[in-house]
Amino acid sequence: MKTVIETKDLTKIYNSSVAPVKAVNKVSLDFVEGEFTAIVGPSGSGKNTFLNLIGGLDKPTEGQVIIDDTDISGMKESKLFDFRLKNIGFVFQSYNLIPVLTAKENVSFIMLLQKESKAKMEKRAVEMLEQVGLSEKLNSRPGQLSGGQQQRVAVARALASKPKFVLADEPTANLDTESAFNLLDIMSRLNKEENITLIFSTHDQRVIDRARRVITLVDGAVSKDEKFESRK
Amino acid sequence: MKLILTLAWRNLWRNKRRTLITISSVMFAVILAVFIFSMEQGSYERMIDTTVKYSTGYIQIQDILYDDEPSMDYAMLFDDDIKELLEEFKEEIDYYVPRLQSFALVATDEITRGSMVIGIDPVLEDKMSELSDDMVEGEFIASGDDGIVVAEGLAGILNIKIGDTLVLLGQGFHGATASGLYPVKGIVDLRLPDLNNNSIYMSLETAQWFFAAENRLTALIIMPENPSQTNQLAEGLNSKIDSEWYNVLTWEEMLSDLLTLMQFDMAGTWVLMMILYIVITFGLFGTILTMMIERRQEFRLLFSLGLKRIKLAAVCFFESVFITFTGAIAGMLLAFPVVLYFFYNPIPLTGGMAETIIDYGFEPVLPFSMTPSIFYTQAIIVFLISFVVGLFPVYKVFKFKIVDNKGKSLKRKRNS
Repeated sequence: MKTVIETKDLTKIYNSSVAPVKAVNKVSLDFVEGEFTAIVGPSGSGKNTFLNLIGGLDKPTEGQVIIDDTDISGMKESKLFDFRLKNIGFVFQSYNLIPVLTAKENVSFIMLLQKESKAKMEKRAVEMLEQVGLSEKLNSRPGQLSGGQQQRVAVARALASKPKFVLADEPTANLDTESAFNLLDIMSRLNKEENITLIFSTHDQRVIDRARRVITLVDGAVSKDEKFESRK
Repeated sequence: MKLILTLAWRNLWRNKRRTLITISSVMFAVILAVFIFSMEQGSYERMIDTTVKYSTGYIQIQDILYDDEPSMDYAMLFDDDIKELLEEFKEEIDYYVPRLQSFALVATDEITRGSMVIGIDPVLEDKMSELSDDMVEGEFIASGDDGIVVAEGLAGILNIKIGDTLVLLGQGFHGATASGLYPVKGIVDLRLPDLNNNSIYMSLETAQWFFAAENRLTALIIMPENPSQTNQLAEGLNSKIDSEWYNVLTWEEMLSDLLTLMQFDMAGTWVLMMILYIVITFGLFGTILTMMIERRQEFRLLFSLGLKRIKLAAVCFFESVFITFTGAIAGMLLAFPVVLYFFYNPIPLTGGMAETIIDYGFEPVLPFSMTPSIFYTQAIIVFLISFVVGLFPVYKVFKFKIVDNKGKSLKRKRNS
């Protein structure tokens, strides 16, 4: 299996000059193609910081993040923007969609930035919204969608441009049980069908129960790294 | 670009009420500014037009000494050289109006008063001042006529009527005595009270005889084919004329005191308008600042998705531009018909204000101007405001931290 993400002694220290706090402490991990990973741990354990680092949203204090043989830890910001655009999909806990765009426009957004043709964008956006069960809501704006529907649009957007991996920051945290299961079903299916690597930061047991790999962080360091290959 | 403009425009309408209030503030500022500047500019244009029409014309050729000392002794010779010069510039000159004027005493049986005796070419003067249209009694004079036309105000002061004879007594060219009896042929309303209470018109030939100034003029008024080319024509004439004897003056040079007064007055209006626009700028700034603060999560999302800072900065900049320009265009569209109405129907002044205006020698009305610069100046000001205010979100976008580390370290401290 091809390694998509590799971290080497990844460290992030906040407030390094005054009262240093090690948010991520020498984390070395590999993520392979098609993996469904949950990163768990108590609040403040460094889950989100780790996701921000491998997503290129934050710079490590030490160590490396290598994505598809490219070290992004020292990359300039303008290049990081392009890199994220081409390689990484994001699903956040809340405020996932651009409020002034319709569901279809939100899904097309990354492809638009990637300068895809209009026809291709349209086709893929409609296809992805159909896959997440929102073919009836193509022209609805986020304010007209429920929380679960908004998260499904965010998943459709994250996967529409076929990124190398998707980082999901507690995507089910604000959803009711039915919506959460629905979203997880969709993400699991797309993970298998599109072979896209999914990495979740979560507290949600429903997500943890589906993940084929569960990494536990405590005080910024890896405390456990478990694999559940039997899970489908 | 389409994406940037779409996002900017749609972002404005996320909070319709707030956007409408901000647009309205810009709109009312523009309406007020256009209204005030149109009124002020209109008054100035009316003053200048009236003065140019009845008094100075656009360009005057005078004797070199006449401007400093307007005396009959410095009446210029209207000779072949001048006529050749006028011929040379005939393409640029619409027509010219000769004048010979000086003060004289005018007397009836009972009243004597100082007045301005103006010798004119009746046809050319009428072309310039349309005096014949303003006749209230009698007839306008013809070329070589012995009769005179008296301004209505002066006629009232002298208590004269058509057919009465006036005695004129003054000093002619080089100290010659100027005297004569002249029948009143017509009475004209000159509108400008100062002129209306003092003026007497006679034909140029009669005036040259009266002042013993054959072939002489105190001023040769030049009316250009295109008034906006006045300065160029004056420069051309100046370059060709014998500068040892003659002087070419534009209306701006002749009315320099009036123009300075107008500029001073306009400066006061500009200060008031700037205060208004500063208030509007802060209102707009408040809206843009609020829009920035409430969209921090959205900015983080957009950056995460790969939207570059320059593009997001452009979105925010255009939001400021759209608000101000929507307000400015709405303001101009609403102000235009109002100003147009008052352009054709100036507001008549009454009471003390009217008397003050009359004392300055002008018509007691508030005319409006439709000069395009009044409108496009507001557009430029509004653009500058949107540019200045728009720079703030641009700065903030470039400084925006996708991950707020401060919050994270505080959270960790609380947990530990």
